Amino acid sequence: MLDKPETETLEIFIMGKKYEVPRGLTIMKAMEYSGYQYIRGVGCRGGFCGACSTIYRLEGDYKLHTDLACQTTVQDGMYLTQLPFTPAGRKQYDLEELEISNNPLLDLYPELARCVSCNTCTKTCPQDLEVMDFVNEAIRGNVKEVAELSFDCIQCGLCAARCPAEIPHHHVGQLARRIYGRYQAPESEHLKERVEEINNGVFDDELEELVNLPEEELRERYENREIES
Amino acid sequence: MRTGKLNRNDSAEEDPYSESMRESIKKVEETREERLEKEVDMMDPDERDEVLNNFHPDYKEEGMRSLKVGPNRGDEMPLELADLLEAYPAVDPSEVDLTKVDYEVDVLVIGGGGAGTVASLWAIKEGIDPEDVLIATKLRHGDANSMMAQGGIQAADRENDSPAAHFLDVIGGGHFANKPELARALAKDAPEILNWHEDLGVMYDKNEDGSMKTLHGGGTSRKRLHSAKDYTGMELMRTIRDEARNRDVPVVEFSPAVELLTDSDGTITGALLYNLETDQYYVVRAKSVVMATGGFGRLHIQEFPTTNHYGATADGLVMAYRAGANLLDMDSVQYHPTGAAFPEQIVGLLVTEKVRGSGAIPVNREGDAFVYNLEPRDVEAGALIRECYGRNNGVETPTGMKGVWLDTPMIDILHGEGTFEDNLAYIHRLYTRFRIDPTEDPLLVFPTLHYQNGGIEINDEGRTAVEGLFAGGEVEGGVHGKNRLMGNSLLDYNVFGKRAGIAAAKRARETGWGELTLDHAKKYTDQLDNAGVDEKRKSPMLVPEYRGEETLSRSIDVL
Amino acid sequence: MRDIAYYPGCSLKEAAKSFEDSALKVSEEMGVNLKELSRWNCCGTVYSLTDDNLMKQLGPIRNLIRARDEGSDELYTLCSMCDNTLKRANSLVRGEEDKRDKINNFMDQENDYEGSVEVHHYLELLRDDLGWGEVRDRVVNPLEGLNVAPYYGCMLTRPKEIGLDDPHDPTVFDELVESLGGTPVDFPYETECCGSYNTVDNEEMVLNKTQTITAGAKKSGADVIITACPLCHFNLDSRQSDLLEVAPNHKPVPVIYFTQLMAIAFGYPEVNKFAEHAIDPREVLELKTKAGSER
Ligand SMILES: Cc1cc2nc3c(=O)[nH]c(=O)nc-3n(C[C@H](O)[C@H](O)[C@H](O)COP(=O)(O)OP(=O)(O)OC[C@H]3O[C@@H](n4cnc5c(N)ncnc54)[C@H](O)[C@@H]3O)c2cc1C
Ligand code: SF4
Ligand code: SF4
Ligand code: FES
Repeated sequence: MLDKPETETLEIFIMGKKYEVPRGLTIMKAMEYSGYQYIRGVGCRGGFCGACSTIYRLEGDYKLHTDLACQTTVQDGMYLTQLPFTPAGRKQYDLEELEISNNPLLDLYPELARCVSCNTCTKTCPQDLEVMDFVNEAIRGNVKEVAELSFDCIQCGLCAARCPAEIPHHHVGQLARRIYGRYQAPESEHLKERVEEINNGVFDDELEELVNLPEEELRERYENREIES
Repeated sequence: MRTGKLNRNDSAEEDPYSESMRESIKKVEETREERLEKEVDMMDPDERDEVLNNFHPDYKEEGMRSLKVGPNRGDEMPLELADLLEAYPAVDPSEVDLTKVDYEVDVLVIGGGGAGTVASLWAIKEGIDPEDVLIATKLRHGDANSMMAQGGIQAADRENDSPAAHFLDVIGGGHFANKPELARALAKDAPEILNWHEDLGVMYDKNEDGSMKTLHGGGTSRKRLHSAKDYTGMELMRTIRDEARNRDVPVVEFSPAVELLTDSDGTITGALLYNLETDQYYVVRAKSVVMATGGFGRLHIQEFPTTNHYGATADGLVMAYRAGANLLDMDSVQYHPTGAAFPEQIVGLLVTEKVRGSGAIPVNREGDAFVYNLEPRDVEAGALIRECYGRNNGVETPTGMKGVWLDTPMIDILHGEGTFEDNLAYIHRLYTRFRIDPTEDPLLVFPTLHYQNGGIEINDEGRTAVEGLFAGGEVEGGVHGKNRLMGNSLLDYNVFGKRAGIAAAKRARETGWGELTLDHAKKYTDQLDNAGVDEKRKSPMLVPEYRGEETLSRSIDVL
Repeated sequence: MRDIAYYPGCSLKEAAKSFEDSALKVSEEMGVNLKELSRWNCCGTVYSLTDDNLMKQLGPIRNLIRARDEGSDELYTLCSMCDNTLKRANSLVRGEEDKRDKINNFMDQENDYEGSVEVHHYLELLRDDLGWGEVRDRVVNPLEGLNVAPYYGCMLTRPKEIGLDDPHDPTVFDELVESLGGTPVDFPYETECCGSYNTVDNEEMVLNKTQTITAGAKKSGADVIITACPLCHFNLDSRQSDLLEVAPNHKPVPVIYFTQLMAIAFGYPEVNKFAEHAIDPREVLELKTKAGSER
């Protein structure tokens, strides 16, 4: 039941070296087919982790495209290389001590002010996020907007690698989401109440009884439990 | 997607679905209205048994064998796993020098996924200096199944819910095979865990008044599935990873553990790491070791494709088993009912249960619904296999795979336009990349290898039976019995990651470092010799082999 | 209510929030809705003003493209820095064909921009569009007896080609103050530079400038100074309070945005949030105007 590639083949150039691979594979599977065993450049294989950042160009074109090797089909005449790591700087901080009245994003990442609005980051993003927009929201200190616009960021670092202003977009987004979640999102009262009930032992007897119930009785309770519609 | 840039895969305008698939989609469209009106009934217990016995892969005898060596001698388990457990150490004990120690720490955490990261954070909260903790992981920190979870995490925090109701669901879903005290810990700690996440800044989906948005998952009696769009795992993993980075937790990446180290009594005293990039080994001496290596999807049991990350290769089970740990429920494997069956590029990847939870119904080739959308996972998966192979009502793809439709356009019809893209951003993106719009067309799905239900036996503190060894997350067993419910394994890695981290820290405070030997591995090797196991079989596997046959058949080792 | 396209710029969303708040309020009073562009980026001021690198023109031009794409052929600004940056980028596009082509080629995901949008400062709206009569009609608390020093700085009037007034003898602020019933005072440093971005790494220079300008205004009898620039405001206000530490004899003069002055005269002093100013203007305003500064 594993992938059975179709027989038709095409030519790709892995770091400049030519390989013939079946049509219809992802870049990742095509590299494996060609004999590469991944150590770097792979993580989830499902578009979540950003380990498989890839830069490619198509024959006859000048444009450098960026995408995820695990989510992109190989095309004929693809010149590709992976960029599994971007040495973008991340700032240490203590979420509990953060001075959030001002603009914590700009305080920690003053390089944000270097953005020239070239839009390269947005064009680069394999998740198709409005990266430049969230950078600009960050400059204005709009934490919530940054958190929301950057939410689907898989932290691949491709934008940071290509940004002429050397901004570590993904780290800024991460900071904004945590500040938003911690300080700005509305609090969940029912959760806090439940935690208190548990700490006060409200459910202890009931749980103790269930843990010691013979299987038959447990089964009966399970079969007859009430189900919320 | 706003800029519409994602359709980069193939510029062609042609329909990604084949002609015969398109014909079948027409039938699905014709019957959609009826489906919107009338739900399919749940199966009765007899039919469930029949589906499981005849169609669930766990019930296929030729897929299983019993172990000949070790604590679980005589237990049935999948062939692929049995072969790894009964294999010789990948590192020859006589080739390593254990007198030169590279790292000396209080708590060694093996695996930088969810459980490992949580364990390290709680070991620190318990008073261990971050410098005295080490996370050793195979890929990058966070390259893990934990990053991939979509649907959500369970916690009984709403008023109409209670830890007891949660407990009952866990036990019943697990076919009453769970260790009750573990299921209790899971249900009871859940709200506290979510509260911790909130303090760390996790962005759960909420209503404007701050109350949590919750949904049903398969087998739940209350709506208690909490999510962060369909990137729940990513939002949790990246947040706790960020916290670990802020706390300066040391992490060595691309350096998986390949063997545990023990003293002459068999107490765990450290581990041997292997730098995948330089081939060098490192010796770690530790007072406590937390095993957090996750699951085994990449074993491709019975040749199933998998939802799991690249590093899910059962290494932790292998290492712990050699050191004497007992394994529970290894005969049951979770196949997620809805893996992608088309297009070819994404076969096996998960289409979260939240899609069914939001109202999409599985439909066969003729456009008929054939199963209730939220049966327990094993039953639902069995029903899909029955539809394709028992009743021959599946849809065939151009490469010969079979699947059934998941009628995703129902979601926006039921809940309003935009619901799908807002709440299922990952799935939307996954498919639009290949020019399939899940709000327009149904998706073809088939069960995929998803989760290791069983694992290393622990107690409710996260201790294994082997002194000095703790475990949390997918690598351990007993929490979910024979079948884990959706949203309970993100919870598991938090609850037992935390408990294991705390227990490991406590032990580290009370004990010193022990001597470092590989005696246990040598003893195990003797047992393998006696059982006549093939000497070429080595483990742990570390990474799966996906290289092309042509390359492999001509590969030689010159350097 | 008449909608006009409005570009706020970053400062007005942050440190200079009361500039925007007061402007929105007084505009509403005059039947004008400042409709913020739905998407915009930093005008790019620091960079686009300081060198010839075309990359740095992308920010301002992208904003003009967005205004155009939202259907506006006019765009209004409040911050004089942004005003200056946008106008200069616009005139570059209009005047230098080769540079325009390069920029358009680079921005290959946007439709070409040829300079069709007209950028105006809010003061131009008052003077040239609504007219001083409209302003005068809305005054409920004439600023009788209040002496106001109009501080133009560099950005409103220079360079000549894009300035909104005579660079040597600007009058637009004076006309505004008169329309509000106050008295503009003549002072020698009204177009002197405040030190601008030197505030970041040459604080001493900025302190000197601040001293010269504010002391000059005081000497001319000013009760308050008005400005249209968040950076000038920062330098003259915050740096003036720093100055007090090293020069305790300095006699401080509060510095406010011109729209805040309008808000007082129009009867909405509460939008001004004067408590956030380093040199608190409330006392002098209360003494001098009937309205008081906060109701
Ligand atoms: C696609 C997908 C969707 C899911 N959706 C949900 C959901 O909605 N709700 C839910 O509750 N659960 C879900 N799960 C299950 C859940 O995500 C996992 O069970 C859980 O996150 C496991 O956490 P863990 O820390 O135990 O393992 P992991 O997160 O997998 O971490 C284990 C780590 O150990 C590393 N490792 C492996 N071997 C070694 C070694 N030898 N040495 C060092 N490191 C090693 C791995 O590379 C990995 O980084 C999903 C799983 C998948 C794959
Ligand atoms: S790539 Fe850098 S400079 Fe360009 S828009 Fe993005 S953040 Fe700004
Ligand atoms: S925003 Fe940057 S780091 Fe995040 S997914 Fe897009 S390109 Fe990758
Ligand atoms: S391997 Fe994780 S995104 Fe491609």
